[in-house]
Amino acid sequence: MGTYIVRRLLQMIPVLIGATFLIFAMVFALPGDPLDGKCGERACPPAYAAAFEEKYNLNDPLPVQYFKYVGNLAHGDFGETYNGIKVSDQLKERYPVTVKLGTMAVVIEAILGILAGVLTGIRKGGFLDNLVLIATLVVISIPIFVIGGLAQYFLAVKWGLFPVTVTSGEATFYQLLLPAIVLGSLSVAYVARLTRTNLAENLRSDYVRTAISKGLTKRRAYGLHALRNSLIPVVTFIGFDFGALLGGAIVTESIFNIPGVGNYIFRSIKSRDGASVVGAVTVLVLVYLVVNLIVDLLYGLLDPRISHD
Amino acid sequence: MRGTTRTVAVAAMSAVALLAAGCGSGDSDGDQSSAGGGAEGGEITVYGCNPQNPLVPQNTGETCGGDVLDQVFSKLVHYDADTAAPENDQAESIDTDDNQNFTIKIKQGLKFHDGTEIKAKNFVDAWNYAAYAPNGQYNGYFFEPIEGFGDLQCTGDGDDPCAKAGKPKAEEMTGLQVVDDYTFTIKTTEKVSNLPVRLGYSAFAALPDVFFDDPEAFGNKPVGSGPYKLDAWNKEQSIVLSKNADYTGDWPGKVDKITFKIYQDVDPAYNDVLADNLDIVTSIPASALIDDKYKSDLPDRNAQKETGRIDVLDFAPSSVDPNYDSVEVRKAISMAIDRDTIIQQIFNGTRTPATGWVSPVVDGYKADQCGEACTYDAEKAKSTLEAAGGFPGDKITLSYNADGGHKEWTEATCNSIKQALGVDCVAQGVVDFATFRSQIGDRKMKGMFRAGWQMDYPSIENFLAPLYKTGASSNDGDYSNPEFDDLIDQAAAATDEAEANSLYQQAEALLAEDMASIPMWYGKTTMGWSNNVTGVKITAFGTVDYTQVSVQ
Repeated sequence: MGTYIVRRLLQMIPVLIGATFLIFAMVFALPGDPLDGKCGERACPPAYAAAFEEKYNLNDPLPVQYFKYVGNLAHGDFGETYNGIKVSDQLKERYPVTVKLGTMAVVIEAILGILAGVLTGIRKGGFLDNLVLIATLVVISIPIFVIGGLAQYFLAVKWGLFPVTVTSGEATFYQLLLPAIVLGSLSVAYVARLTRTNLAENLRSDYVRTAISKGLTKRRAYGLHALRNSLIPVVTFIGFDFGALLGGAIVTESIFNIPGVGNYIFRSIKSRDGASVVGAVTVLVLVYLVVNLIVDLLYGLLDPRISHD
Repeated sequence: MRGTTRTVAVAAMSAVALLAAGCGSGDSDGDQSSAGGGAEGGEITVYGCNPQNPLVPQNTGETCGGDVLDQVFSKLVHYDADTAAPENDQAESIDTDDNQNFTIKIKQGLKFHDGTEIKAKNFVDAWNYAAYAPNGQYNGYFFEPIEGFGDLQCTGDGDDPCAKAGKPKAEEMTGLQVVDDYTFTIKTTEKVSNLPVRLGYSAFAALPDVFFDDPEAFGNKPVGSGPYKLDAWNKEQSIVLSKNADYTGDWPGKVDKITFKIYQDVDPAYNDVLADNLDIVTSIPASALIDDKYKSDLPDRNAQKETGRIDVLDFAPSSVDPNYDSVEVRKAISMAIDRDTIIQQIFNGTRTPATGWVSPVVDGYKADQCGEACTYDAEKAKSTLEAAGGFPGDKITLSYNADGGHKEWTEATCNSIKQALGVDCVAQGVVDFATFRSQIGDRKMKGMFRAGWQMDYPSIENFLAPLYKTGASSNDGDYSNPEFDDLIDQAAAATDEAEANSLYQQAEALLAEDMASIPMWYGKTTMGWSNNVTGVKITAFGTVDYTQVSVQ
């Protein structure tokens, strides 16, 4: 187990370096340079453009730009955004908010989703099963900006149950609660369905029948044996979803004005802000890798047949 | 430009303040009674966006930073909130006999927020700094008319035109001379009749000595001279201004504190206003414009005003796309566009159909310069096109940046053209603004493309010269007409304002003759506010008039 973790951690290094280069090259390859949209409808004044290009090394060829960037990165310097704000400061401020939001969403989706999945999986075809089936179908088919917009308008603006937006950098639990519910809602549906299908499948399997027939209580047979086996795909999904929620919460972040990472990356891509994109995405890749490692380790806990040695 | 009778009183008041400061303990933030009257105090929050550059007036050309700097820095000239007419602010007088040599006297006793006095050299130093190319200031080009500007530009070429031998020849413009502490002169290379009007633009603000010690630190926390001072800029979150107790000008704000809350999007800001979490939102999101929803959401708490903005359709230069060379074809396309219906259906009436190339908010505006070419007439459009021999290409294209909400109106415009002319018209989205502008800048964009122009200073000249003069910085269609250039030069030399305006109008008439671009509509700004504030007025620049806003 220990050697497995070390090996996985070492594997992360080339992945990270490769990822930074690929992202850097992709931003570089985008048509239009950062100065094009920067000065509104007119071309940037030449003096301003020259100083800007000099400051951000825009005249160098790609490899030179990349090595300058990596060189700075080695000193812990993430560079500056094109409006002169330190990328590292932005990441320091934004990641905690995004991680908080992502974690809350994942916790909500895991609890609600697995609960609904278990209840419906045990009583397949019952009233509750149908209710959840229809509810999840509805949630999956409605785009998130509709859910978010409606939730904000009615729950926050109209009835005042929640804050309308996150207005400061230190987003509180309460401010993030509604966004987290919105963000998690789609995944709740997936988790519920995934759990239900797997559980229903496993309940029909031989080992559960054996367990019941040798006198185990239903609760124990289902809870300890069937559910644990059924959770493997669910855990895979949740792990993957956590990563996706961090970088992909753009819509939710815009609706609730959350100073998170998704929006930041989106905006930076639009302004061709290489340093910001690479910095933010690299951290995202790191989070992804770590979460995946944790998921893989969880497999072993859920199913002892999966061994990491 | 007219002086105000209030000037004398203000000068006397500041003299007293000066004496008091001299005898006092040096407490610079003393509690002098605030100037002005009416409901005062309290704090408000206003929708803000991310400044794109350090907060230095010489380096800011966009509204996110500009809205803030307008309050922090006073200028020589102040534009009337309602009419945009210029009035002397920090300037005691601006005199010229020949439109080429200007003498500017500034009021005595004016102070920066750090307590230092504003002197003539603060203007001259700031302007030289801005014009000196290696400093790379965004607004540096505003000083182009001043004698000696060329010597401050880099002469080299290649990657860094300022390196080594490319260094500018001089660091100071010869056209700027300090006469005494309160007087300086400007000499321009050519005659510039509207120079005094331009002096209200933020590029012409004075900078205190502390700026030159550390420009970078200054950009994070500027020391200005306006009715408000900047307390803090929390990057990507908020910008906090507080009332300048020592402000002696004629346009003080009423509230004690203004916080610009930075949003990424206007939709959440609008919702915050609905819930009274934010006091003023300076634009209304498209979703709330539909069926005038904002008027029922914010009854009696919204306002709309025409501002100095125009939207046009530019034609690609002839070398890029010769299909649009014929003036008759251009006019036919323009006549085929049903501006009124598009404005009603797509913009819910938040635009005004354009009848020329100059916004109605500026002095010198003449209605109907475009004439029947800007009036929708499907039959006339078709017959004009037929008389011109039809459209030479197989289809008309209209390009727009797909990230700016232009899809709906460009498609509607194309439909209108298609129906009237019977020629296929396609609205083409370019992925985003950066790509869009780069295609235009590289002269690779064919057909027609959208463009918008927001005035820098309220002058008819600002709508003509930078856009249509041969080789001008924003002349994206490479329009060139020697007669037009000549009229612009003559107008700049005219000593009489009425004469200048008439010459500019003649120049504008040439644009109509050549159909240099298709005027679409003039912009309007719509704002909404919460139950907490009252007296919100929109200026001719589309900004909030902080001399009127107060807490309810």
